[in-house]
Amino acid sequence: MVELLAPAGNLAMVEGAVGSGANAVYVGPRGWSRRRDQYEMPDEDVRAAIGIAHSGGAKLRVAFNTNMQSHEIAPMLAKMERFVAWGVDGAIMTDIGAIAEVHRRFPQLTIHASIGANILNDEDVRFYRSIGVSQVVADTKLTLKELASRKEKIDVGIEILIHANKCYTYLGKCWMSPYHRLERIADPFGKDLFKGSPNRGGLDYRVCLESWELYSGEELWEKSVALKNDAFFLLPDIPHLIDLGVDCLKVQGREYPVPLVERMVRFYRDLIDAYLASPKDESFDLSPWQSRLFSIQTERDAARSDGTRRLLDEARQPVVPVA
Amino acid sequence: MTPFELNTTIANLRDLRASDLSDYDAVYLGDIYCRIYEANFLERPGDLQEGLRILRDQGKRAYVTTYAAPRNDFLPGVRRMLETAASAGAEAVEVHNLGILKIAHDEFPQLPVHVGGFANLYTASGVEVLRGFGAVRFTPNYELSLDEIREITAGCDAPMELLVHGKMPLGVSDYCFLLDYEEKWGVKCPDLCQKELFLKQGDWAMKSVGKGILSGKDVCMLEHLPRLLAEGHRDFRIETISESPAYRREVAAVYRAALSRAAGGDVTLDEGWWETLRRHARIGLCNGFYFGKSGMEYAGLRPDSMGSLLTISRVES
Repeated sequence: MVELLAPAGNLAMVEGAVGSGANAVYVGPRGWSRRRDQYEMPDEDVRAAIGIAHSGGAKLRVAFNTNMQSHEIAPMLAKMERFVAWGVDGAIMTDIGAIAEVHRRFPQLTIHASIGANILNDEDVRFYRSIGVSQVVADTKLTLKELASRKEKIDVGIEILIHANKCYTYLGKCWMSPYHRLERIADPFGKDLFKGSPNRGGLDYRVCLESWELYSGEELWEKSVALKNDAFFLLPDIPHLIDLGVDCLKVQGREYPVPLVERMVRFYRDLIDAYLASPKDESFDLSPWQSRLFSIQTERDAARSDGTRRLLDEARQPVVPVA
Repeated sequence: MTPFELNTTIANLRDLRASDLSDYDAVYLGDIYCRIYEANFLERPGDLQEGLRILRDQGKRAYVTTYAAPRNDFLPGVRRMLETAASAGAEAVEVHNLGILKIAHDEFPQLPVHVGGFANLYTASGVEVLRGFGAVRFTPNYELSLDEIREITAGCDAPMELLVHGKMPLGVSDYCFLLDYEEKWGVKCPDLCQKELFLKQGDWAMKSVGKGILSGKDVCMLEHLPRLLAEGHRDFRIETISESPAYRREVAAVYRAALSRAAGGDVTLDEGWWETLRRHARIGLCNGFYFGKSGMEYAGLRPDSMGSLLTISRVES
């Protein structure tokens, strides 16, 4: 049975996601995941999230998917040890060194390779399998043919992002944002938040979405060039992905309001259940689902557009040196 | 044999033949971004053999780089290219993708592997993993500061290769947005991405090579070479994949002279060196992420390096 994985940027979202039908929920400990710290959680909230998820019959994964510093490996392991003791069901990770260390220390813990690991080909998958990863998030640019190859040839769990962003660049292989602005500030526990570097756990200023002028030498060739960075919802692909046997369908969106995330999760829960219950010898009618998704998408687009404007404004602010 | 290695990247035979490589010790052959980049070494085994021969005849160490973001359909060509590299005597292959690292390790174990900047090496623990797959030299991710790189080397004593000058890679894509403009601009692939194309907005600038985004400013570590040597670094890259033969030659001459001087304990810098570097840096100079700030900042002693009109004064330290 395919798993529906939902995001949670706070405890209300954990409750909302579980109540809306998620089979699993992921959260980020503050400073250690690919999101702004306001959408991450203190350790005690991670513990509470594990309890909420488990009492609702769902799993709870914790995202340690930053590319960390060498000296951060030890505190990461200490944090992971607490979460494992509290019953966390899996870890979402990116950094190969951190993955190897976690696998060595907690061999029973399921490690999911994050979208930031940018696993693009079958040999990539085999590399990550060899260091302890058992499930990989597929890059959003991969085709069904590539996923089928992966499913057929390799003993690995496959996760598909069904609500996420598709960037111009490959995710995890882009540092345009910190090139323009990087703020090195530590949280009260000394964790560097790398504000501006999504690969290192900070927010992404989405500078790709700036209205760029394109010059050839000194000559202006284009007044406005867009580097695509589109948020998407998968719909027609969902039946194919289920038939292909993917293990997990993942909704991203810790930064969105709780009611919107609840609507997304409920939509996909109902869609998956309806498809699984439908007769296999008849074509599945997606038209009612399209209209239902349209209103969710409109709400999401408004929230995202507002967020992008704020981020680009913030990216232009000078970094105030720490005294 | 010099106490350091100065290397660069060249995409095709035409650029290799047009380049004066006197001041380089080694060259990586191939364009990591695009399979249809004009006459890319990585798609032409015959050209790659010839390129390796030319480098060997010039007494240079000959390396081959590989694609930054290879999908499944790249892999048969990658295997052919690795086979050519191994049989034609390449001294190392650079990998940016961990799948290619695994192929190199499993199928071409005689080929030494250098880990490239897109492989996302951030930690000493990461070095240990990569060593297990045969890697012998490491370019840390460009986001790392010198302090963070020192933390890695202190933990595992691994040779790091550092970008000391040129446009820093910022991202790689599967999509060449320049192709959308072929008709409008009247310039076709493969000439399109070889134009000097910059994305600008206010004081922000990035260079586009179609499927790759590079820093608008040139990373410049000229005045920090004594520190790099003191911290044990010996392998230095001047990134010239999207630059002219004149850039390749003149910037290398500056760094060869400055490194030689610094290796002898002399930390002075010639004014002419700065003039050369500024002339070739259309947008200005920066330090990348080496000093823990945003990549486009310049943190050194030379405010004029950022493109202002301040009078140049000699740096004495």
